[in-house]
Amino acid sequence: MSKIRKLICYQCQRELELKKTDFTYLGHSFFTEVPRCPECGQVFISEELVKNRISEVEMQLEDK
Amino acid sequence: MELANGLVAECLQNEPAFCSVECPFNLDVRDFIGKVQQGRLSVAYKTFQYAVGFPGIVTALCGEPCKQVCAMKDSGGAISMQLLEKASVDFARNKDPEQYNMPPKDKKIAIIGAGISGLACALRLTTKKYNVTVFEKSDCIGGHLYKLLSPELFLKDIERQFKYERYTLNFNTDISDIGNLEYDAFYVATGKGGNDLGAASGKDGVFMGGSLTGADTMYAIAQGLNTAAAIEKYVKTGIMTRPEGPSGTKLLREGLQIISCNTVLPANGNAFTKDEALAEAKRCLKCACNACIRYSPLMNYFRKFPKRIAEEVEVTIKPMTLDGNGTVATRLISTCNHCGLCKEVCPKNIDVGEFLLQSHRTMHDQGAMPWAFHEFYLRDMDFSNHEAALARLPRGYDKSRYVFFPGCQLGASDPQYVIKSYQFLIERFPDTALMLSCCGAPAHWAGDEAIHDKALAQIKTDFIKLGNPKAIFACSTCKQMFQRYLPEIESDFLYNVMAAKGIVPARKFKEKIVSVFDPCTSRYESDLHKTIREMAIGAGFHLEPLPMEGNLAQCCSYGGQVAITYPPYADNLVKTGIEQNNNPYITYCANCRDIFAAAGKQTWHILDILFDLGDENRVSPTVSERRYNRLRLKHQVIKEFWKETSIMKNPGKELFISQELKKKLNKELIIESDIYTVIENCEQSGRKLFDPEAGTFSGHIQIGNMTYWVEYRVKQDFGIELINAYGHRMKIEET
Repeated sequence: MSKIRKLICYQCQRELELKKTDFTYLGHSFFTEVPRCPECGQVFISEELVKNRISEVEMQLEDK
Repeated sequence: MELANGLVAECLQNEPAFCSVECPFNLDVRDFIGKVQQGRLSVAYKTFQYAVGFPGIVTALCGEPCKQVCAMKDSGGAISMQLLEKASVDFARNKDPEQYNMPPKDKKIAIIGAGISGLACALRLTTKKYNVTVFEKSDCIGGHLYKLLSPELFLKDIERQFKYERYTLNFNTDISDIGNLEYDAFYVATGKGGNDLGAASGKDGVFMGGSLTGADTMYAIAQGLNTAAAIEKYVKTGIMTRPEGPSGTKLLREGLQIISCNTVLPANGNAFTKDEALAEAKRCLKCACNACIRYSPLMNYFRKFPKRIAEEVEVTIKPMTLDGNGTVATRLISTCNHCGLCKEVCPKNIDVGEFLLQSHRTMHDQGAMPWAFHEFYLRDMDFSNHEAALARLPRGYDKSRYVFFPGCQLGASDPQYVIKSYQFLIERFPDTALMLSCCGAPAHWAGDEAIHDKALAQIKTDFIKLGNPKAIFACSTCKQMFQRYLPEIESDFLYNVMAAKGIVPARKFKEKIVSVFDPCTSRYESDLHKTIREMAIGAGFHLEPLPMEGNLAQCCSYGGQVAITYPPYADNLVKTGIEQNNNPYITYCANCRDIFAAAGKQTWHILDILFDLGDENRVSPTVSERRYNRLRLKHQVIKEFWKETSIMKNPGKELFISQELKKKLNKELIIESDIYTVIENCEQSGRKLFDPEAGTFSGHIQIGNMTYWVEYRVKQDFGIELINAYGHRMKIEET
């Protein structure tokens, strides 16, 4: 895993923290911890997460 | 499903080979030879031994009726089956039969006659542990074999095959009436001219076979073996059936790939060495119907025959019919290019493509087809049919005889393709109208009938508006779609019209060798194939045919828009397409041109040659450029042909994207205008993230079903620099 980037929510000026976040795809839902603004809940999904775990789960659900 | 039933009923995949049908023992020659080909002679021997009962005797007396029907008969000589049988016997490590440990059965079977047919029946029944008694009127076993073989040979074989089995043998017992014998069934094999003991009248439980029925030695053995199965059925169920013998085959010789190769002769004159046996076995085609697997890229890639596809699709469409992993074929259904090659090469014309299309529609209707497979292409179609669309009569006309319908991808590849072609047409037919839109193929391929119907309705409306003109197509897919869904609209190909008007290619080449790559949707357009080749020859090219051209045309990978569904399959198809030979290609489909050029194949579009446009190395436009080109085309034709002012919308702040990043976006099918939309949203709403270390902003929005992420830097006075962008299908539930 690469170092977690320090990211600041532009609107709330708060640093993002790892928080439980829900996802849905093709009628299935699941959750994982991703960086979010503690105030407004704005999320950050890194390309690394997209290219690995997310695309893997997407493929699995498409073939389910 | 009617189509699925057709697939299963018509398919010849499981039809036996010609030779097996001729063989008295129905030997599965494909299986036997396959084992010899692999050098597994001991395993081949087991197959042979089980099929014939007495391998030593059969090898010595085999009359090779298979040779008369062998596909290699006139291509170097029929396969020498007898010598291969002998080789399996000679080189088998263990010639003994299998030893079966089964409890004895309480049924008693009498066999009248210890000739080879009676013994064959006894062998099978004793192997299954029936209580068998053989009555022989003489004092020896083997019957008429004494006239054909040395007793040493056949007695040794008989002894070996009965090594683990026991039966009661009564010599010097001439049975003239079976009425007094208490047995559950009888096999009467009393030899040529023998007493049938009433078997011929069809008495229950009394079977007959062998030379008594006029069978020759091979059939006599086969009858003995087969009758054992009929006897077993009778004693179990009381039903009398005829022993099963060889049946016919529906296999067709068309489609077999015969490569002439001379028969291997044994160096010693009478028996193969192991190497000779392998070489002879390798000549065998193992005749089977597999044209679909050999030709259809889909069936070849997945190694699946129509029956298997039908089964997998069936459980996918009706998932309740199978426990667990029911939707096994979702991706397969969506990976078909709909090129029509499977139907073309199938001797029974089984149309797997049409079956998959109907299945795709069913899946779509059930909401079971993942949207991601087709959303990008449907959005692209929507773009063609709205922002980039145009349907206009030429200036000064209120109706047209002709309309040029270039299709959405021709102008996307190069706007000049369309402009020059329309110029050509309008100079010769000044009332020719122009329609820039999509034929609806992406919706057809996506199985989305609602979107498709809407697109077709718009086309119909536009045609009425233009005075119901005859369509002039540049793309064979458009023509195919119109023929299927709008058959009332008359049409022709641009290239045929150009040829009829005597077009002279603007570029000339000196004896350059090229090959014409026919688009798959032009499969049955033989006039068009001829026209394109004449144009190429007219430009000075020397043509070399491709293995897959004309009615064997293979898809370039664009058909069915399968690149999102199964990228490795699409990549493989591009590779097989461009590797058909080393010549540069000429094609007349913008997608074939751009896909092959992007893969490094020198490829011209025929319009490049006719109008002296791009060269064979022209870099293919990215997905973003394809959209921009369509917009540019629309504005350019309005200015050029309608003399009206047309200004393209300025996207606002300038977006800087490095060449490397552009390549990445193209590969991941991310459109720059979508990137711009995400950035604009971030900037206007302020909903964005700041990375203080890098000085960049990040943000995302969902466009359609896709979520797009951008990372960018706002440059003072210089617009915006895109650092990265990516997308995912999963939806973030942010609330």
